[in-house]
Amino acid sequence: MVRFQNVGMRYGLGPEILHDISFQLAPGSFHFLTGASGAGKTTLLRLMYLAHRPSRGLISLFGRDTTTMKRRELPALRRRIGVVFQDFRLIDHLTALDNVALPLRIAGAKKEAIGAHVSELLSWVGLKDHIGARPPTLSDGEKQRVAIARAVIGRPSLLLADEPTGSVDHEQGLRILHLFEELNKIGTTVVIATHDRDLIARFGRPVLRLVGGELSVHRPPRVVAPSSALAQQAGGL
Amino acid sequence: MHSDLSFDNDASRHFVPLIVAVMVYLATLALAGSMSIGGAVDQWRDAVRGSMTVQLPGRPGGQTSPEAVANIKAITDALLATPGVASAAPLPDSDIQALLEPWLGDADLPADLPVPILIDVTLDDGVSLDPKGLAQRLAVIVSGVQVNDSGASLERLVRLARSVQWVAGIIVALVGAAATAIIIFAARAGMSAHRKTIELLHLIGAHDSYIARQFQFRLLVLSLIGGVLGLVFGAVTLLVLTLLSSQVQASLVPRLSLTAPQWAILAMLPILGTAVATVTARMTVSRSLRQSL
Repeated sequence: MVRFQNVGMRYGLGPEILHDISFQLAPGSFHFLTGASGAGKTTLLRLMYLAHRPSRGLISLFGRDTTTMKRRELPALRRRIGVVFQDFRLIDHLTALDNVALPLRIAGAKKEAIGAHVSELLSWVGLKDHIGARPPTLSDGEKQRVAIARAVIGRPSLLLADEPTGSVDHEQGLRILHLFEELNKIGTTVVIATHDRDLIARFGRPVLRLVGGELSVHRPPRVVAPSSALAQQAGGL
Repeated sequence: MHSDLSFDNDASRHFVPLIVAVMVYLATLALAGSMSIGGAVDQWRDAVRGSMTVQLPGRPGGQTSPEAVANIKAITDALLATPGVASAAPLPDSDIQALLEPWLGDADLPADLPVPILIDVTLDDGVSLDPKGLAQRLAVIVSGVQVNDSGASLERLVRLARSVQWVAGIIVALVGAAATAIIIFAARAGMSAHRKTIELLHLIGAHDSYIARQFQFRLLVLSLIGGVLGLVFGAVTLLVLTLLSSQVQASLVPRLSLTAPQWAILAMLPILGTAVATVTARMTVSRSLRQSL
């Protein structure tokens, strides 16, 4: 699904932020990506969602080498990746419905199909009453859910989330994580960048840890926590 | 058309229609002027084609004096005997007086004023005579005879008119170039203002054409609004100038009156401007997008 081989990344002539990153994510896997602020989590995610090409090394997505791929071939690959940005990156003048519909419209889906799918998904994430609302009128938690809905509307094979719980309270963060688990259960490969150790410990998923631009893989034991009740609430996000 | 880019707050919303309106206005006037001059040149050519004027020295008493009558007859006979001459007839005193009216007023001319006698000569189709040779031959009959070839002096006027038309064409071309530069600037400014949204659309999987289409449509609408406004103001200006030029009594001043096909050509200016703006916007945005990943 995702394969990095000796990947190094620097911006312009600046220092190398990522050094010799090598790892492989199996289809349907669920990983956390963690590290201190400035460790390169966002840069690693940006390489995964094809916002940058690496300075060196090879990146393979869905079995295709993206480092040598022609520019015109990238959109098709990007449509298989859902991204939840740390700052949501919603378009302010569009309604929640139009924001979520964006990937479908870009993919050329028919208007009727878009309306039905998007309304259904917004209801699923608990924003049924905010379909016509514009982002500036939504709370951070609501914006987060719109961003998540936009990331998953196209049924991506790979879901990347950058600090998805950073702007919501702990309880809502847990709900979001349970939502991602649900998506993972239906086959979506999930990578979540976070520095919330409690969340990582609670879910007990493999962790990609970035320290000083170098990556290591850990699998912490799952901490038993009263999260089952929250898990049940995930469906009502 | 739905747009993912929030164009409503862009500066281009105001300045593109304004600039395009000014450009189309200038192009309308330049083109209309060029077409009017072209029409006037054709009229001048038609008026003098196949004709010459023979001028006899004036005699007190005008054409009625015995000497003048004899001279006129002699010259007219000589002209009619010349191969290629279809007709030769003296201009009546009333016509000559009308020609002199702008300088001497509309009062009757004094009887002792030696007003030149003019003989209007019409040539057969496709025939041209050497005015100098003809003058020498006629001077043997009546001394002081001059032959005026209107075509020669007209050609100098036509050259001037053609030069003015070229200048008008250059103005239209410069206006087009300036409008194109403005559209390029507006497209680039728009891309800079919407850089984050454009990156987002790319990351979600948008092709360059999806993004370029939105800029293209936006600039199409703005250019069309500006173009129509420019044409309307241009048309009003032309109508006022037409009214004013109809009051000018000067045969060589081109009358500013356009035919229906010429108005149709002017009406094409906003459409042409919009097409140029649309293609320019598309090319500019596509080229800039290719610089990104």
